[in-house]
Amino acid sequence: MSAIRVFVARRVITMNASTPFCTHVAVKDGRILGYGSAADVAEFGPAELDTRFADKIIMPGFIEGHGHAVEGMMWRQPYVGFYDRTAPDGTPAPGLKSIEEVVARLQAHERTLTDPAAPVVAWGFDPIFFGGRRMSVADLDRVSSTRMVLVGHVSGHIQNANSRVLEACGFSRDSNIDGLLRDTAGNLTGELQGPAVMGRASRATGDNGLMRVQDVDALMDYGRVASRVGVTTSTDLANALSEDNAASLRAATDRADFPLRLVPAMRAREYTLEAGLARIAELKRQSTAKLHFGIVKLVADGSIQGFTARLRWPGYHNGAPNGLWYIAPAEFEGIVTAYHKAGHQLHIHTNGDEASELATEMVGRAIVAHPRADHRHTLQHCQMADAAIFKRMANFGMCVNLFANHIWYWGEQHRALTMGPSRAERLDACASALAAGVPLAIHSDVPVTPVAPLFTAWCAANRLTSTGRVLGEAERITVPQALYAITLGAAYTLKMDHLIGSIDVGKYADFAVLDEDPYTVPTAALKDVKVHATVLGGAVF
Amino acid sequence: MAAPPIPLTVIGGFLGAGKTTLVNHLLANATKRYGVLVNDFGAINIDAALIAAQDGASIALTNGCVCCSLGEDLGDGLAMLARRDPPPEHVIVEASGVSDPWRIAQLALIETGFTLEPLIVLVDGVGFLDQLADRWVSDTVARQLTFAELVIITKADLTADLGPIRREIARLRPEARVIEAVGGALDPAVLHFAPPPREKPSRFAAEAVHDFPTASWRPSGPLDRIRLRAALEALPKSVLRLKGFCQIGPEGEWYLLQYAAERWAFTRVDGPQAAGFVLIGTPGMPDTAPLFAATQLAAEAPR
Repeated sequence: MSAIRVFVARRVITMNASTPFCTHVAVKDGRILGYGSAADVAEFGPAELDTRFADKIIMPGFIEGHGHAVEGMMWRQPYVGFYDRTAPDGTPAPGLKSIEEVVARLQAHERTLTDPAAPVVAWGFDPIFFGGRRMSVADLDRVSSTRMVLVGHVSGHIQNANSRVLEACGFSRDSNIDGLLRDTAGNLTGELQGPAVMGRASRATGDNGLMRVQDVDALMDYGRVASRVGVTTSTDLANALSEDNAASLRAATDRADFPLRLVPAMRAREYTLEAGLARIAELKRQSTAKLHFGIVKLVADGSIQGFTARLRWPGYHNGAPNGLWYIAPAEFEGIVTAYHKAGHQLHIHTNGDEASELATEMVGRAIVAHPRADHRHTLQHCQMADAAIFKRMANFGMCVNLFANHIWYWGEQHRALTMGPSRAERLDACASALAAGVPLAIHSDVPVTPVAPLFTAWCAANRLTSTGRVLGEAERITVPQALYAITLGAAYTLKMDHLIGSIDVGKYADFAVLDEDPYTVPTAALKDVKVHATVLGGAVF
Repeated sequence: MAAPPIPLTVIGGFLGAGKTTLVNHLLANATKRYGVLVNDFGAINIDAALIAAQDGASIALTNGCVCCSLGEDLGDGLAMLARRDPPPEHVIVEASGVSDPWRIAQLALIETGFTLEPLIVLVDGVGFLDQLADRWVSDTVARQLTFAELVIITKADLTADLGPIRREIARLRPEARVIEAVGGALDPAVLHFAPPPREKPSRFAAEAVHDFPTASWRPSGPLDRIRLRAALEALPKSVLRLKGFCQIGPEGEWYLLQYAAERWAFTRVDGPQAAGFVLIGTPGMPDTAPLFAATQLAAEAPR
């Protein structure tokens, strides 16, 4: 018989409707044995009382329902974003508030390079708060005139290149190719838009973006980043799950000091239908306590701020042409039907409202053709869905995971450029989803925005943009609803609510330990609640 | 002397239009070494007897052809094909069924080792009119045709009246030549603007296909950068291609200019080269010699 450990806290928030709040949790074999008052847990027998969190708040560990473990890899390159971020080792990476600061940061990094041929590749750049000033070739040529310098924008849809990269790509002033931006004098600004020209630039520098095989060190770094903000389970929502990728995931999660449970989603488009169905069945048999295979990822459209999402009438507010489908609708239906029929769960990326409408229709057709209860197919992002789409989703038993962080990071852009004032009010419409009865999770899409579930919950509860505007006050949800969305709500969308997401008997002893009580702090301060520690399977991190 | 540029044909068209069938047919019946980049590698279906070697991302055929998966970057795939020994005699790129093939084709303009042949867009002779009426795909299908230069109506034998289809194509892209195909069978001559001189007349009416008049213009000296750009911007839609070497500016730097349907690229090259442009267009292409003559440094700047 292994020992019982009882954690005592100022308050335990269980997310378990039978006993919403208590003070003690008893843990045995990495699972929750019981909870209640000191007297209640004493009835389980002799136990070691762990008082280190006695003045803290214990919650179920947070669940990042849409993240990408590639965040761990990003930190091998300098971060040049506008917002403060934290590196895996805990070092703060302060946000850079001007082009000058970005150039200085890149120059400092350049001086650390010893290989004269090494490129300078940076990530996380976001020029939208620089008063209209864009980064230029000249700015990056000041970083180096001999090395290639390539800076990725945080949205993932734009890059800035220096002269060396432009030369290596064959992009010249006199050329007229789509995706090369120019200033008013017709000179290339070095800004590259769209996968065609960006892919070429990435190849020139030897960097191939998010599609790399993740090694164990990078996964450990992601674990550190996520654990620090209270996450105990994270998806890795687009993974080829080739043999070497799966082996890395297995090796990392097998380590006792790996601080997360990982839920990788298999990218269906990496495989033919037959091969994909065989692969996901094979992977499911390899799941462990810290590595849960089973969900399948499908992408219907692109991104709204990149103008590659599929929008319904009247399209983009600034008149940009509609995005293109990533999969033809007929083929999409075939893939959805095949995985649905075989009993798997789909997580479908839909950004524009037309994509959400299409995915809902196709899931609905699959359900009518092959009735199956409790499939929990989930639309991911689903940022422009209206009440009608949410009601259909509810009727079909679908779930949603909304990109609440977008309200803060791109809400102003959506209002001004992509959606206009009316549709932006229902950007990531959490209240409409809940009103329609759609099970709700909310997410960061790390590394697109930093992982921090309390910040994501703050976004959903406050709906503030980066300039302080309240965007869609009626779509705010309450703090308890938002906290549910980052715990049990997210667990439900992963079909793991019997294992994680609340403090309940038999579940994994996964906790987020907080300095303050998120139920009692002002709603506006939710994002400022500090995460003191996490507990995974009873072990403190 | 550098190797002559490899002809490159981009084939687009909506899902089900028959792109893969066409590629399979070309590979199986090849009389030259094709290098093919395909979007859906898994759908390539080659007779096992024809396969010389195979791995996860490429198939080498006993007839010298090779078929590879089209990755993130077209240039990457083209470079890989060009490195083969011997290199392919003709490269075919199959665009994805939902992509805009013109976005892919224009990237070939910055590749000096290739010359862009007609942008071919396949139209599903059975499903096209329904696709144009479909609430989800009509804009995609129409956009794919926007810059098409040769439209091939597939499954032509399965449709009684092709008239309405031809009228829609003419409405969307009046500049395109339109031919019909049955199954995947197609005269490989359609992959080129100009018919190879040795080829016998085709039963697929190649003479109609090759209704792409050509013109040429030879400068007498260096061109003015700004006037040349203005001339390129002023070219009518009936000019489909322009390719050739020229000197630009008082320093007389040598460039390769490649132009296709309102997009172009200059690539710096070593000189001297044989200066001159070759243009390919539709039958309505006007004489562009005066336009270019005005770009010469020696010529008087237009007022």
